[in-house]
Amino acid sequence: MAMKRLVLPLKRSRDSQNAPIEATPLTASGRPERTSGGVRHAWQRATASLLVLIALVLLPSLFDLLFGDSADFQLHRVTLILILAIAALAQNLLTGYAAQPSLGNAAFFGVSAYLLAWLNSDLQQPYWLAVLIALLACALLGLIVGGPALSVSGAHLAIATLGLVVLTGSLLTLWDTSAGRQSYELTALPEALGDDRVLYYLVLTLTALVFFGAFQLLRSRIGRAWIALRDSEVAAAACGVALTRYKLLAFVVSAVLTGLAGVLYATWGTTATASMSSVDQTIAFLTMIVVGGAGSLSGSLLGALFVGLVPLLLGELPDPLTLGPLQLPIATLTTGIYGVLLLLALIFFPGGLSAIFSRGGRLAQGEGGKP
Amino acid sequence: MLALLQVLLSGLITGSLYGLLALGIVLIYRTTGVLNFAYGALAAASTCFLYILLTGPRLPFWLAVLLSLLFALLLGAVVERAFARPLLAAPILTKAIATLALALVLQTVIQALWPQLTTPVHFPTPFEGHALRLGGFYLSLTDGLVLLITALLLIVLQLFLLRTRLGIAMRATADGLEAARLMGIPVGLIFLLVWMLASLLAAIAGILIAARQTVIDVQFMDPVLLLAFIGAVLGGLDRLEGAVLGGLLVGLAENVLALLLAGHSLGPLDLGNPGIREALIFAGFVLLLLLRPRGLFGGAALRRV
Amino acid sequence: MSDEWQTAPQEAEAHQPRTLLEVQGLTVRFGGLVAVADLDLRVEEGEIFALVGPNGAGKTTVLNCISGFVRPSSGSIRLAGQDLLALGTERRAALGIGRTFQNGQLFSSMTVLENLLVGRHSRLRAGLFQSLLPIGPARREEAAARQRAREVLAWLGLESYADRLVATLPAGLQKLVGVARALAGEPRLLLLDEPAAGVPLREVAALADQLRRWNAELGLTLLLIEHNMEVVQAVAQRICVLNYGRKLAEGEPATVLREPAVLEAYLGREEEIDAREEGEVSDHAAG
Repeated sequence: MAMKRLVLPLKRSRDSQNAPIEATPLTASGRPERTSGGVRHAWQRATASLLVLIALVLLPSLFDLLFGDSADFQLHRVTLILILAIAALAQNLLTGYAAQPSLGNAAFFGVSAYLLAWLNSDLQQPYWLAVLIALLACALLGLIVGGPALSVSGAHLAIATLGLVVLTGSLLTLWDTSAGRQSYELTALPEALGDDRVLYYLVLTLTALVFFGAFQLLRSRIGRAWIALRDSEVAAAACGVALTRYKLLAFVVSAVLTGLAGVLYATWGTTATASMSSVDQTIAFLTMIVVGGAGSLSGSLLGALFVGLVPLLLGELPDPLTLGPLQLPIATLTTGIYGVLLLLALIFFPGGLSAIFSRGGRLAQGEGGKP
Repeated sequence: MLALLQVLLSGLITGSLYGLLALGIVLIYRTTGVLNFAYGALAAASTCFLYILLTGPRLPFWLAVLLSLLFALLLGAVVERAFARPLLAAPILTKAIATLALALVLQTVIQALWPQLTTPVHFPTPFEGHALRLGGFYLSLTDGLVLLITALLLIVLQLFLLRTRLGIAMRATADGLEAARLMGIPVGLIFLLVWMLASLLAAIAGILIAARQTVIDVQFMDPVLLLAFIGAVLGGLDRLEGAVLGGLLVGLAENVLALLLAGHSLGPLDLGNPGIREALIFAGFVLLLLLRPRGLFGGAALRRV
Repeated sequence: MSDEWQTAPQEAEAHQPRTLLEVQGLTVRFGGLVAVADLDLRVEEGEIFALVGPNGAGKTTVLNCISGFVRPSSGSIRLAGQDLLALGTERRAALGIGRTFQNGQLFSSMTVLENLLVGRHSRLRAGLFQSLLPIGPARREEAAARQRAREVLAWLGLESYADRLVATLPAGLQKLVGVARALAGEPRLLLLDEPAAGVPLREVAALADQLRRWNAELGLTLLLIEHNMEVVQAVAQRICVLNYGRKLAEGEPATVLREPAVLEAYLGREEEIDAREEGEVSDHAAG
């Protein structure tokens, strides 16, 4: 038959293009395989999260036993790690999940802190109202930044957003200098927040809520849409995901969470500084998600723990540190160590800490910048 | 009128320096897909090395320059082998983050080796204080040299890329990795040479900028780098001529804005502040990027491997 | 168990076939190259229609125009009378156009079940704030969606793979997951991009049976691009042959494939078969 002759050459040319394929049962009546993301796995994760939470709730009492009088001081340091975790999560949602190569989160970090300082200290507005306004402003800014971001490609976006950070930083500095101050002190904070324990529990509550919300979100159609557009934009669109809307949503959610981290950071340090919007800050955010693990919630926490702990550990060293002929201020050493570890992590552990902990876990390997 | 010409002239000078940096940025981006945020740190490293040679062993100026240019070549090679090569296949953002990290590492190393550079120091050159007067024009000797050197460099570079076998191989690699490989171009070697060349350009730009500013510290390139990046993006990130033109445009814009804004103020805000200028340039940049997502002189989308 | 989610042909006007997809005067130019020229197509509700032709004939471009990845230079595309060209890809998916990709394009970091859930995306409504809560309408909707996705998997015989990461599945199964993902969205029209590509010869007959089953049991209209004439002859009720972007012939496969012009288009160009089509997919789909 004529047809047979036609089929074969065409067929062969196709087969040679495609890699050999394993037996392909069209009706997959194959043996049931062990599942990797099954119910048991989910329970393990839930239990682990609960244990971490309980440990964090009990931490102040533990610190009382361990450190005695300096317990509050130590607790204050842990609070910072929790705040950083929110910022890491924000960057991770945007970059690790929704795959937007934005380096601009540090801009929101600084802006929200300065807004809080201005509204609360200068305009004498209630603290919570000021926080709310700062977060709304971040949402708006996220929309403004995210809009253009959608129309420019990856490399351009990375440059433009990093530029935004530098620019925000220099404008905040300008605000400081023209107001004749070094940094913006928060002078009218609610008295209760001056207590390290109250602040700790407040931040712990917020962090837990944010992580729980993110956990839920990533298991909803919205979170799935983000991951889908990371894995294949084409297929996501074909499945009905409105790419523009979801990318924009990722920008806004990330901006608001970074803003939350920003106001908490300013509250924690009772001051807002222009260095909150700097390239160094951007690097700190990126270090958290790269070292922790892009596209992983626990990775955000681990990354924050890492970035928060390094300066604490280095803080035990004499400042400046003398190594033979070398003399190093600890602050410099800290950023240098971030740099080295970031490089090592990028080159040798593209999946980050969380991938190392859960071997073969379902973790995206540095998918952040899929162009 | 003369004031405007004077401003345009200095715009040309700063612009050509940005253009030189943008050129190196684009060269690396095109061939290896690395968005090199460490470019400023590379320039600073070689410049700081020169400073140390000039102030420590007190070498003659030109000998010290020669040594630091050799240092730049070496630095480029080391960075390519130790850092760019292992990340060759990584996504663009990963590489960009890695260069941010590299910048931190380089700056830390400089500060550790030469702590005096942590704070601004005077950068000595033999040209300082000399000036040329052409009619009503005033041109410092340094600026004259900057113009001369960048112009020469751009011409030489153009000839190199267009005429020499090595230059053609570099451009071929930039145009398509696979095709270049098939043509028998030793791609790995080209990557190495591109980084060395880019590092050399960075060093020259860094030294010229230091000579103009007369004051440097370890981070003196940071504010310059962003403007160079803006120039590179305006040029389309994919064309060498575009990069130079983009850099020139940014330099001109910066100086014209400085002239226009100087002495004005808005309420308590001093509009002459460099921060305002930077903000305006950046706003204009974003606007242009929105209107022309591929840059002013950019061609088709760059597809990297 | 699967009856619930099947979408039987909506109306029982039967006998009188209704046009589901109507393409008129479709022309696509890429620079100076005319990829598709003045193409008319009419796919009836409930039929299996195949678009065939040599590599580079413009088949994938037509499919991409229907999905919305490529904007045609001129012409119109209607689904059940509604103009599609003004709509984005995601709106078309919501209107009931499902699609598979030749190279899979699965969400590789997700499980099979999650892939199907994304496939159902346009049928879900939960907003941002509902999605943050552990209880409430979003979670109920989610549970129902999971249930349905499992039913689709069961219907395709994939239920035991529901919680496997797609990246760990053999290629043949991945292809099927691609179909399952499209079916999870309960489409009216399913676009299949070379379903037989890479399928071993001995499996081809089984594949044809599958296609007919989806068509018959779900009342699903299928529009497929295919190289494998065995499959085309076995399943397609009507086919259209494209060559250099133009329609060469249209009608029942048995008749069309015997036409001299069609035979020549294939035999004459056998030598120059190349990877052009491949490039087309990634290039256009990305846009």
